[in-house]
Amino acid sequence: MRFLLHLFLAMALALPAASYAADDEKAIQILERMTEAAKNLTYEGVFAYQSGKNLQSIRIYHRADARGELERLISLNGAAREVIRSNDMVTCINPEGKQVNVSRRPLGRGFPSDLPRRLSSATPFYDVKLGDTDRIAGRKAYELNITPVDDYRYGYRLWVDTQTYLLLKSELLGTDGDVLETFAFSSINTDVHIPDHKLRSQMAGEEMTWHRSEPEEPINTATSSQQSRWQTGWLPDGFAQVAYQTRLRASNGADVEQRVYSDGLSSVSVFIERIRARHNHLHGGSHVGAINAFGTIMHAHFVTVVGEVPADTVKKIGNQISFSDTP
Amino acid sequence: MTAKQQELLSAFVDGELNQQELDELLSLMDSDENARADFLSYQFSSDVLRGYTSRSEPIDLSNRISAALESEPAHQSAKAAGEKARVLKLPDWFWKQTAGLAAAASIGALAVVGVIDQPQNSVTPELAQAQPQPQVIQQQPNVAASNRWTVGEREVEDRLNNYLVDHNEYAGASGLFSYARVVSYGEE
Repeated sequence: MRFLLHLFLAMALALPAASYAADDEKAIQILERMTEAAKNLTYEGVFAYQSGKNLQSIRIYHRADARGELERLISLNGAAREVIRSNDMVTCINPEGKQVNVSRRPLGRGFPSDLPRRLSSATPFYDVKLGDTDRIAGRKAYELNITPVDDYRYGYRLWVDTQTYLLLKSELLGTDGDVLETFAFSSINTDVHIPDHKLRSQMAGEEMTWHRSEPEEPINTATSSQQSRWQTGWLPDGFAQVAYQTRLRASNGADVEQRVYSDGLSSVSVFIERIRARHNHLHGGSHVGAINAFGTIMHAHFVTVVGEVPADTVKKIGNQISFSDTP
Repeated sequence: MTAKQQELLSAFVDGELNQQELDELLSLMDSDENARADFLSYQFSSDVLRGYTSRSEPIDLSNRISAALESEPAHQSAKAAGEKARVLKLPDWFWKQTAGLAAAASIGALAVVGVIDQPQNSVTPELAQAQPQPQVIQQQPNVAASNRWTVGEREVEDRLNNYLVDHNEYAGASGLFSYARVVSYGEE
C-alpha cells in the first residue's frame, strides 16, 4: 500500500515536470529553427527599432540561395544609412558623412552566426520558456521568454513565426526587467524574389570616401606568440571563445585583434588595437542602445570590450584583461 | 593601470573618495604619467557624458578657475589647514594639462568636493556657482538612452563604430536585426 502511495506521489510530481520539460525542449527547438530560418529564407520587410526614446524604421532585404546570402538594410528615417552584407564582406554606407566602410571577413565564413551549434551551451545559463502564441506583422508567432540566471547577461523575449520560424519581434530585457531595445517587423514577406538591384546601394560611390579593413594573412607563429600574451582574467560563467581574428585597417594601418566570447546567446568582443600615434581612447564605459563598451589603454594598446551585455559585465571583463610581459 | 587604481579614479570622478584615498590618488597621479593621462581622458569622457562640454573645441578655463580659487575665501581658509591645502593645492602638471573646459570643470569639482569633505568647516561653495555645476552624479548613464557613443572625440567614436560593426557579426539572439544598430546610429 505504501509502495502504491509512493508511486502515485512520484507520478503526480513527475507528470507536470515532464510536461514543463517538453515545453522547454520545444522552446529550444524553436530557437534553433529560428536561427536556421534567418539564414536560409529569402525575405523582404520593414521593421522598427526602438531604443530608449529613439525609434527608427528600417527596410531589410535578405536573399539566400546557392550562391550564399546577401542582405541590405536601409534606414528609412533621417540619413539613409545602409549596411550591405555579402558572404565575405560588410559594407556600411553613411551618406551624411560621405563615407563607405568596407570590412572584409576571412574567406569562406558566410554569415558567421554559429548560434545553433552553441545554443545547447546556453541552456544552463538561461531559463527558456515557451509562452502564448501572439500575432506580429499579421502572422501567428510563438513567444519565447528567455531569462538569464545571473545579472551578467540580458534576458530576451522573442516572437517567432509559427510558419517559417523567422524571428518577427525581439525585446532585450535589462537586469531589472525593463525593455532596453525592441526590434519588430511591421510588414514582412517571405514568399518573394529579390532582384539584384534591390541588394545594391543606390548611392553613387564616386564622391564617397572609402575605408577598408582586410583580414590578415594566416597568423604566423611570431605574432601568435605575441597575441597569446593577452589574457582575459574573468568571463561570466558559460562564456567561451567562439572566434578570433585580426584585421588591418587600411585607413590608419592599425592592427586590430578581435576575440569573441559567447555563452551561446549573448556575446562579447574584446578588441586589442596597437596604438600607432598619439590618440585618445574611451576610458571607462559608453553605450549605444543596449550595446555596452568599456575601454582602457594597456601596454600601448587600446583595449575595448563590446557586447550586448550589462555595463558591469564589460567593465568587469575589461578590468581583468592583462598583458603578460613574459611570453 | 591596475583595477584598483581604475576603481580609485572612478570613485574620484564620482566624488566618493575619503581623505586617505584622495591622497593615494594624488600621489599616484604625481608619480605615474600613464595614470595622469588616464585620469584626464577619463574625466573628459565623463564630462562629455554629463553634458558639461561639447566635443571638439574645449575652452581654456584653467586660469580663470585658478584665479577664482585664489580669491575664494574657502580656498584661503583651506590654505590655513594643512589637510585641506593638500586637496586644493593642485600639482603643477594639473594646471599645465588642463587645457579643456572639461578638465577645468573637474578641478572645480575636486576643489569643492575636497573642501566639503572636511569635517570642521563652513564652506559656501561659491566656486561651484561660478563654474558649470560640477555636481557629483552617478557616472553610469541610463542604459539605452542614447543611440550614439557618449565619447568626446570623433576619432574615438569612429573606432568604436568599427568595433560595433565587427561585433555585430557575432551578436547573439537579436540575430537578423542586429545591424539595425548600425544603420540607425546617431539618428534622433
